[in-house]
Amino acid sequence: MTAVTSGPIVAAPATCKRPIGLLLVAIPVLMVIWLVIWPIISAVITTLWVKTPEGSAFSIETYRFFFSDGYSLSNLSMTLWTTGVCAILLLIVCLPIALYLRFSTSRVSAYVQGLAIFPMFVPSIILSFAFIRVLGPNGTVDLLLNAVNLPKIRTPYLTPRGPVIGPVWDNIPLTVLILLSGLGAVSNQSIEAARDVGAGRFAVLWHIILPRISNSILVAISFAVLGIFSAFTLPYVLGPAAPEMMGPFMQRTFHELFEPRTAITCAVVTFGFCIVFGLFYVRSVAKNRTT
Amino acid sequence: MTATLARPKWDWTGIVFAVVLTLVIVFPLIVVGTRAFTNVWRYPSVIPQEFGLKFWNQTLARADVWSSITTSLTLAATVTFLSALICLPAAYAFARLDFPGRNLLFFSFLAGHAFPKFGLPVAIAGIFLQLNLIGTFWGVVLIQLVGTLLFMIWIPVAAFRAVDRRMEEAARDVGASPFRVFWSITLPRAGPTIAAAILLSFVGTFYETEGARLIGAPQVRTLPVLMISFINNQPVIQYGAVLSVLLWVPSFIALLSARRVVNSGSFARGFGG
Repeated sequence: MTAVTSGPIVAAPATCKRPIGLLLVAIPVLMVIWLVIWPIISAVITTLWVKTPEGSAFSIETYRFFFSDGYSLSNLSMTLWTTGVCAILLLIVCLPIALYLRFSTSRVSAYVQGLAIFPMFVPSIILSFAFIRVLGPNGTVDLLLNAVNLPKIRTPYLTPRGPVIGPVWDNIPLTVLILLSGLGAVSNQSIEAARDVGAGRFAVLWHIILPRISNSILVAISFAVLGIFSAFTLPYVLGPAAPEMMGPFMQRTFHELFEPRTAITCAVVTFGFCIVFGLFYVRSVAKNRTT
Repeated sequence: MTATLARPKWDWTGIVFAVVLTLVIVFPLIVVGTRAFTNVWRYPSVIPQEFGLKFWNQTLARADVWSSITTSLTLAATVTFLSALICLPAAYAFARLDFPGRNLLFFSFLAGHAFPKFGLPVAIAGIFLQLNLIGTFWGVVLIQLVGTLLFMIWIPVAAFRAVDRRMEEAARDVGASPFRVFWSITLPRAGPTIAAAILLSFVGTFYETEGARLIGAPQVRTLPVLMISFINNQPVIQYGAVLSVLLWVPSFIALLSARRVVNSGSFARGFGG
């Protein structure tokens, strides 16, 4: 807490001349340059320039290997599948919740909002453990089914469905919050006006609400994609051993196979696949902050 | 899809949502919580055969649990302190001072969030490999520090901006020193939000698993990293359950104190909503 008070005191007078501001922001900005911008440039350079006895030469060999290796490709396609399914499921789950929260005035809605935001306060590692204890072999669901003489479920634990359920659970709060914030821009009057001229619920949703929150929907999708595409913990703990998602794949090549070059190649490939979402996300956040 | 504006007598949609979300979100956690306080719970009994604290004693007697608790707390405290030290002055500068390139630099903190979550740490690990920072405490500090920058700058900037400038100027007009203005006007108003940002950054760092595992393994072992190995290799389920309850404590504190910030619209707007 001391840092809170001691830091800005130096700069308190708003009449300060220019350089002092730059000086105050210098360290965090330099950290971003050193640990965000530079690693990415360096990742691209180290994977494209190969050291040969005669010096370094341009080569796309490591990428050619990645895109011809059956195992890498099946990891990549599993990652794409998981991310796509997660994003769609998140929208299907969160849009109704957000719509309900925006338009409900009942007391139940406060409870629903509390629950929808709650997963934000559950670390994904505890979530993984809870997931295994509930849906895993001989988990609680099996216990309950067994008690009423029903057959056990086909557990999603260690199957490709594991890394779908986990991240969806984990991403509900932010998706709901982002959609809800978008729905805040839809005025009650515009909906009442549409109702007055005889529009039904779905017509209101389709023609009035969805066009106004399309940007929030895209932001929510981008956020989910960036979080899930190369997530590590949930796929590593809940997913199958092979094929694996890009996150566990990178961690394993880096740490267990000691092939940082391969891991960095994978990282650059994930950057490539996510760049559209990343740019869109940054653009919308920036637009939101300035206006 | 209830896009209704009318107020029904019974909010059936709400009740359905409430029941389903309770089952899906609260129930799994109750199962884990119960598991931590059972001595015997064998299949196929629906309720535990014997409740008790046996596994709390056993878990807390493990040296690896204590060393990772210490590691986690030291790491989170170091990262949060350093983050506050470098970010809060910067936040004040962004909110109150004018300097060249202010907007560009302000948005540069988004850069870390424009890339997939684990891809960036792998690229950073490539650099740390050359600097021999892999497997070191300070390597983990650096990677976690980068993760806190956005929140620790953006949330306090919003807090400083929310303080009415006219109040500060009025205080200056009646002769208060800049320090006095900051101490008596700016800080009390911005303080609660800044404290929430510090708390969020502490809790976020405490639970940060991916960077800690990638950069820290095997020498630096935080509580979440230990939890991963419990899930993968530990046949005694209760150890994991007890550790889950222990692990959740910081989050619970955050939940109690940060609700106001999370529920306010500015938090979601920070994510681009």
